[in-house]
Amino acid sequence: MNKDSLKALTNAHAWVGLVISTILFIIFFAGSISLFRDDINAWELNPHFAVHEQSDKFSFDSLINEVAQEYNINTHGYFILSMPTAEQPLANLYFEEKISEEEHVDQHLILAPNGKVIGKGNGSRWGDFLYELHYDLHIPEVGLYFVGIVTLFFFVALLSGVVIHWRKIISKFFQYRKDGNKDKLLDAHNLIGVMGLPFHIMYAFSGLVFNLLIIYQISYAVVLYGGDQNELFKAAGVVDVHLDETKIVMPVQGIDNLFLTAKASLGEVTIDRVSIDHFGDESASVTFRGADKSQFSTRKEATYHIASGRVLYLTKDNFDNDLRGGLSVISSLHFGDFSGYLIRVLFFILGIGTCYIILTGNLMWIQKKVNLRVEKQNPIGLKVVYAITTGGFIGTIFASAVGFVFARIIPIDFVGRSDVIGYLFFGCLFTAIVVSLNIKAQKQFAATFLRITAVTLSITPILDWFVVSQGIKVMLSFGYYHVIVVEIMLISLALFCWLIASRLFVYKRSEEIIPESHVSIQTQNL
Amino acid sequence: MWSRTFAGLIIGLLLSVSLVLNLNLLLPIKEDTMLLIGLLLAFPLWAGVQVWGYSFANAKKAWLKLTMVLIPSVLINAALLSLR
Repeated sequence: MNKDSLKALTNAHAWVGLVISTILFIIFFAGSISLFRDDINAWELNPHFAVHEQSDKFSFDSLINEVAQEYNINTHGYFILSMPTAEQPLANLYFEEKISEEEHVDQHLILAPNGKVIGKGNGSRWGDFLYELHYDLHIPEVGLYFVGIVTLFFFVALLSGVVIHWRKIISKFFQYRKDGNKDKLLDAHNLIGVMGLPFHIMYAFSGLVFNLLIIYQISYAVVLYGGDQNELFKAAGVVDVHLDETKIVMPVQGIDNLFLTAKASLGEVTIDRVSIDHFGDESASVTFRGADKSQFSTRKEATYHIASGRVLYLTKDNFDNDLRGGLSVISSLHFGDFSGYLIRVLFFILGIGTCYIILTGNLMWIQKKVNLRVEKQNPIGLKVVYAITTGGFIGTIFASAVGFVFARIIPIDFVGRSDVIGYLFFGCLFTAIVVSLNIKAQKQFAATFLRITAVTLSITPILDWFVVSQGIKVMLSFGYYHVIVVEIMLISLALFCWLIASRLFVYKRSEEIIPESHVSIQTQNL
Repeated sequence: MWSRTFAGLIIGLLLSVSLVLNLNLLLPIKEDTMLLIGLLLAFPLWAGVQVWGYSFANAKKAWLKLTMVLIPSVLINAALLSLR
C-alpha cells in the first residue's frame, strides 16, 4: 500500500473511531457486563426468594392450573416458561394477561424449583436492562439497526487498524513503551487490539449478523425468491408449526406427560424453555426447547398439539438446516455460553480491554489536536470530544454502578422499580456529559470521576450483605454463587477504574486541559 | 470524509449483495449452505469495501473505483438471473 493510501486510511481510522466511540463504548461495556446477565438477574432477585429446598419435580399442570385460575391469560399473547436449571434454581414465567379486549398487561411470575408461584418479578429487570442497552441502547424501533451500523463501522475500524499496523504486527507485537505518554497510549491501543483481534472480529461479525441481518434477508428475498419472504424462511429452516385457532375453549392439560415424551424423544438435552401457543384454545400447542450440553452448539426442539399429543415438529440437530446451525454457532460464540464461567470471564476481560482501546483511541486524538498550533485548533470540537470521553465513557460506568446500587436498595415489590432504575441510569449518564461539557480541568475531572465511580461500584457488594445477607447465605448453602460472581465483577471494575485514574489521568497542578481561545502551550500535557 | 463514508457504505452494501448473489447463482451447493456462505461473506465484504473506499485520497476517486467494480458484478448478476 502506498504512502498516500496509508495516510488516508490512518485518518479514516481515527475519524471512524472517534465518531462511533461513545456508542461503541456503551455497547462494549454493557455487553461485557451482560455476559453475566443470568447472574445479575439471579443476584437481584434470588436473595429475596431464597428457597430452602430443592426439588426435581416441576409440575407444569399444577402451575398452569394455578396461574389460569388467577389470571385471564391472553390466548393470542405469549406464554413462556424459563425452566430452572442446575445453575438457576428459580423458574420464570412470562405471559400476557388480558384485562379487556384492548388492554393487555405483561406478567412475570417467579416460581420455586417445584413450579409453585412464589412472587412477582415485574420490577426486577436490571440484567435485562443492561443487555437491552447493549443491543439497542433502549431506542425503540431503530435502536437495533443503529447499533448494527455502529458495529459495521467498528468492523471497518478493525480492518483499517490491521492494514495500518500490518507491517509492524509481528515485530512490535509485545511493544509497550510505558515511559512516553503518547507511546504508552499507542502501544496499549495496538497491543490489546492485536492480542484480542480474533475476539474483536468475532464480535463485530456476530453483532452485525444479529442487528443487520435484515438487510441481506430483504435482498435475498427480493432477488432470489421473487419477493416471497416465506420461501426464503423455508430455505433458512424456519418451520411454521402454527395451527389455526378453532375458538373452542379447552383448558391446557397434560403438559407433564408431553414434557416426558419430549425428553425421551430429544435424547441428550437440557430443556430450558417451554412455550405455549394459543393458550386455552383447542388448537393450543406446546414447544420444548433446549440445548445438548454435550455438543458445542446444538439446539433441540419439539412441538406438540396439546389436545391430541400429536407431534407437530421435532428436531435434534439445529432444525436440520445449515443456516440455522451456523447461526446457532455464531450465537454461542457471541454469548460465550459453551464453556461455563471460564470463557465468559475471558470474554469479559477482552470486552473491558476493548473499552480501553476505545478510550486510548480518543485520548490519542485529543493529544494530537492539543499539540497543534493554536490557530489550527478547534476548541469546540476538542471540548465535545473531551465531554464524550470523560462524561460519556466514565458516565456509562458510573450510571451502571448507580443502577447496581439502586437495584439492590429499592424494595423488590416497589411498583415501577425497573423504570426508576432505568431513568436513574440515563439521568446519571446525561448529567455526566453535561457536567463534563462545562468542566475546564478535564484530566482532574476524569481522575476524580473515575475514583467516585470506583467507590460507587464497591458500595454494592457491601450493601448486598446489609440488605439481603440471609437470602445470600441460603443461596450459598445450596451452591448458588451468583451474588459472589456479580460482586467479584463489580470489585474488578472498581479496581480497574481506580487503576486508570491513578495511571492514565495523573493530574499535575500546572496542567490545564481545555483549550479556550487563549489556549497556551501548557495544554500540551494530557 | 463523509462522502467517502457514503461511497463505502452504499457501494459496499450493493457490491456485497451482488458478489454473494453471483456466488449463489454459480455454485452448485444446496440452498441452506449457500445462504450460510452468503451470510459469512457478505458483512466482511461490505466492511472490506468501506476500508478500500477510505484508502483513496479523495471522494471522487473512491466513488469512481468502487463503481467500476460494482458495474461488472451487477452485469454478471443480470446475465446469471436471465439464464436462470
